[in-house]
Amino acid sequence: MNGFYASIRAGFEALAKMGVLPDTFFLQFVGNAAIAALVFGPLLGVLGTMVVVKRMAFFSQAIGNAALTGVSIGVLLGEPATAPYMSTFAFCILFGLLLRYTQQRTSLSNDVLIGVFLSISLAIGASLLLFVSARMNTHVLENILFGSILTVSPTDLNILLGVAALALVVGGPLYNHMLLSSFNASLAEARGVPVRLVEYAFVLLITIVTVACVKIIGAVLVEALLVIPAAAARNVSRSLREFVVYSIVIATISALIGIVVPMKYDIPVPSGGAIILVAASFFAFTAVLRNMLFRFRATP
Amino acid sequence: MPGPSVRFRGVSVALGGQRILEGVTFDVAAGGVHCIVGPNGGGKTTLVRALLGQAPFTGQITLEGVKDPVIGYAPQSLDIDRSLPFTVLDALAVMNQRRPAFFGRARKDRAAQDSALKRVGLADKARSLFGVLSGGERQRILFAQALIPTPDLLIMDEPTANLDDEGSALIETMVKEISAAGTTVIWVNHDLDQVRRAAGAITSISRTAAALELRP
Repeated sequence: MNGFYASIRAGFEALAKMGVLPDTFFLQFVGNAAIAALVFGPLLGVLGTMVVVKRMAFFSQAIGNAALTGVSIGVLLGEPATAPYMSTFAFCILFGLLLRYTQQRTSLSNDVLIGVFLSISLAIGASLLLFVSARMNTHVLENILFGSILTVSPTDLNILLGVAALALVVGGPLYNHMLLSSFNASLAEARGVPVRLVEYAFVLLITIVTVACVKIIGAVLVEALLVIPAAAARNVSRSLREFVVYSIVIATISALIGIVVPMKYDIPVPSGGAIILVAASFFAFTAVLRNMLFRFRATP
Repeated sequence: MPGPSVRFRGVSVALGGQRILEGVTFDVAAGGVHCIVGPNGGGKTTLVRALLGQAPFTGQITLEGVKDPVIGYAPQSLDIDRSLPFTVLDALAVMNQRRPAFFGRARKDRAAQDSALKRVGLADKARSLFGVLSGGERQRILFAQALIPTPDLLIMDEPTANLDDEGSALIETMVKEISAAGTTVIWVNHDLDQVRRAAGAITSISRTAAALELRP
């Protein structure tokens, strides 16, 4: 795959030579981060629409926090601090499945239950992270929390591509089923949808995508790129297709701008923070636009 | 060819340690309209869920006369955020097709979806946002989706509860047409006047009593 990534980076460099892209694209790590953005932007864009429809924004936040614990466990077990994927995937998947399992067996409302799990995951993650921080560079800790494009390696890209392929294969055919299950589980079951299985599949999808994106966006902010582009798209969409397309476009552009602009203008902000701030700008713009459109339509 | 007949024999349902239905026994004739009436909380919806295989029960529920019948189900409501950018066609696509709805409608499903919308009198609302429809219009959409594909057994859980007189009459007419074409209809309904007009048979269910069969 390294040759494949190198050829894409060569394409970026050619466009930079022509002046189409900024000259930061001559840097290899910017090229790697841009490739990652072109993968996770559309991925988070589509998944984000489902998160918004299914009202599960705080679920992905809880998974992001669980990633902190996963990273800490990985470091404790001797995995490299810059890529503790085994422990992070394992812990977050267990955490997500346990949360879903508990949801199905309690009368507590979703927001209360997710609030409890979110707090627990943050408490364990923060405690362990402080414990293991003595073993790692402060910058690594910062990268885990808020993301970094400096350390995106071909291995990270391979994992991201693998997760994207899995999401496409599993999530594509189940997209309608996932939505219908949340609209009316009884109707979904009557139409032959295995509702419980589909809900677990959704939880797994959100979990693995969140973990794969933690490296670049950061554990604290990864949930925001699931929710904000979809929320911004919802402001100006008039159909499901527009909702998904706008969400993909906003997520991808936010990621690219968030990666490139701080490098280009030497702004000292982490990539995750920059990406989310750009996405938030889109949200503010679309919110104003929606308000204006409503007023315009309401004017006789 | 008529749809299946349905036999309920000693159907009992207990949920959360509470007995919801006990010993419900009645028959639904093939191709007829069978209304289920009863007080709120009397177990009508629970009976529907048992029939759909969604509530654990003791006793027997058997469908006879049609092998692998197509079952259409029109629920009371859809828990969809009204501010979401879902058109009526999007909602139908989510409910009725395998292709992800954001890719648009699958070509093979379009005719059936258009026809169902036309039948419930909402063809002109196809591109309207689902959230801006009235409660009655949303219930007509739920009824429309139950007709895709044409069901052998149609189960309706109070689909006329929020409808105005015109919408309710439209559904009643359609139920009669569907039944005349052979579909067996089980219709949970509160409107006793409508039940008297539409039903070929009526069963009254209360929480603890066995089904009481009535005739219109």
